[in-house]
Amino acid sequence: MARYITKRLLKAFLIFFVSITITFFIIRFMPSNPVDLLIDPKMGPEVQEAMMEEFGLDKTKGEQYIIFLKQLLQGNLGTSFKSREPVSQVIMQKLPWTLLLLFIVVILSLAVGIPIGVYSAKHRGKFSDKLINIVVMVGISVFVPFLAFLFLYLFSYYFKLLPTGGAYTPPPAKGIRYVIDVLKHAILPSLTLFTANVASILMYTRNSMIDVLEEDYIRTAYSKGVKENKVIKVHALKNAMIPTITVTGLMMGSMVGGAVMTESIFSWPGIGRLIYDSVSALDYPVLQGSFIILALSVIIMNIITDLIIAWIDPRIKLEG
Amino acid sequence: MNNIIEFKNFRMGFKDESGNEFNLLDDISFEIKEGVALGVVGESGCGKSMTSLSVLKLLPSGVTIQGGDILYKGDSILDMNQEQMEDIRGKDISMIFQEPMTALNPVHTIGFQVGEALKVHFPGMKNSEIKANVLEQLELVGIPNPETRYYQYPHQFSGGMRQRVMIAMALICNPKLLIADEPTTALDVTIQAQVLELMKNIKQKGSMMLVTHNLGVVSELCDEIVVMYAGCVVERGNIGEVFENPKHPYTKGLMAAVPSLDSKGKELYTIPGIVPTVKNFEKGCRFSPRCEESSEACKGIKPELTRVGDNHFVECWKYNNSEGSPCQK
Repeated sequence: MARYITKRLLKAFLIFFVSITITFFIIRFMPSNPVDLLIDPKMGPEVQEAMMEEFGLDKTKGEQYIIFLKQLLQGNLGTSFKSREPVSQVIMQKLPWTLLLLFIVVILSLAVGIPIGVYSAKHRGKFSDKLINIVVMVGISVFVPFLAFLFLYLFSYYFKLLPTGGAYTPPPAKGIRYVIDVLKHAILPSLTLFTANVASILMYTRNSMIDVLEEDYIRTAYSKGVKENKVIKVHALKNAMIPTITVTGLMMGSMVGGAVMTESIFSWPGIGRLIYDSVSALDYPVLQGSFIILALSVIIMNIITDLIIAWIDPRIKLEG
Repeated sequence: MNNIIEFKNFRMGFKDESGNEFNLLDDISFEIKEGVALGVVGESGCGKSMTSLSVLKLLPSGVTIQGGDILYKGDSILDMNQEQMEDIRGKDISMIFQEPMTALNPVHTIGFQVGEALKVHFPGMKNSEIKANVLEQLELVGIPNPETRYYQYPHQFSGGMRQRVMIAMALICNPKLLIADEPTTALDVTIQAQVLELMKNIKQKGSMMLVTHNLGVVSELCDEIVVMYAGCVVERGNIGEVFENPKHPYTKGLMAAVPSLDSKGKELYTIPGIVPTVKNFEKGCRFSPRCEESSEACKGIKPELTRVGDNHFVECWKYNNSEGSPCQK
């Protein structure tokens, strides 16, 4: 077990290093100059140069990379070009909002996707299963921004039930009213992301459940006189959950930075929105920082996923 | 002697995608008496496994019952509801499956899986009692270090050990009937011999239905034999009578195809032709296209099971002396 974890961590470190390196250079090779956006053209060339120096943009890309790595080792993600605040501070302000959205979406998707997936597998080929399949297909293929605008139009504009954007109504209220206000703002972005994600959780659960229900050991369980719902809960679900856990892990990892469109449409103050804003402002350090957080969360979620699967399936531990 | 299980003209089949109905098991009739070991033999695909699964109503979906009945101690199994079946499965009738590699759940410990039937059928039993029972059973089927093995998972067991686990699992509630569906087929020869030895030692307690394509196994373990071909019982009876005096051309062929010491150096006999698939079963005697003794008479109507000895029945026009038999005309 300890060997398995050590190996996983070493691999994770390597992946992290490669991904931040790629991120660094991709951002640096964007075909525009951030200084142009920050500096008033009326400023003199000396001022421009001073600013370039301040941000370290006068050095070669190789030198910048070394500085970047050094700073990273000290836990310093640099300073935002735009707000002049430390990047870590900027990210830490946004991260809780993204995590809030993420947990709402993941818990809802699992709570809805798994039972319906199991139901669908149990009633395979029947009308209810076919109906669920159609809904899943629509859910998987729907264009997320379209869905976001549809919800916005319906619930915020037409019925005027829910706020159009942001995470709370300024100025923030106190206590329980603040919580309710935030949850109200979270409904539409959560619903959008939920629709996109529940479909894949449901589909993975259904398909792996169908495979598992055909397994010989399920017949063995029935031959012992175990009742159907017990067979499903005790014998099938544990085996069938493995693909679902993998997708959920990947989904959670990528959603930390992946909800760019949804967060932008609903002006949700999370990491996705931050990435969008930083791209527009060519704010290298913030972009870089966001991608580091994203890479880190994908890697951490992968490790957690692997550990959960190894815990469920006893065959995996030995293969480490 | 009372019958534990009685197949009465049981017919079963399935529907394909386009809704055409096919017959798989045609007019199966035989019984398993109390305390008797019955061997069911036949080639792959002749319906042996389907017959054994029918007893527990564990048939795959899409299979339809087309007629007849299966009686458990005189009560129709086909009429029983889900709950009654669950009560019988594992407690009165239990089953050992063909594939020890896949028939155990990879994510549960051996101890849990062997003890589960006790947990299901004796809800009042304490966990410590269940464990003691399981350990005793594991010991009985020859698993060394049951205390350690109890907490291990199937992948930590070899094929032969897994089959022993399956046997322990099937016997834990002392069933009245044990169905063993090709229990040794997936194992290598030495392990086969060990498992057979084990089955020989445990067989005394209740009845057994041993499904196999291995005549040697049947002769070692069974008191009675049912020979199946293409979903029909072609011959059945006392093991001695059938082995010494096989009547049906198919049984004769099967016996002749077993290599023996006398046949050393000679070419091994094979039955000509291949096993028909469900979709092209012959209308009359299903064996007639491959039968060396068949005549035109065999083609149209299926023969009936006819008594040819004290406990010896055969389904062949050659021995059918009832009125209307084509052979008599």
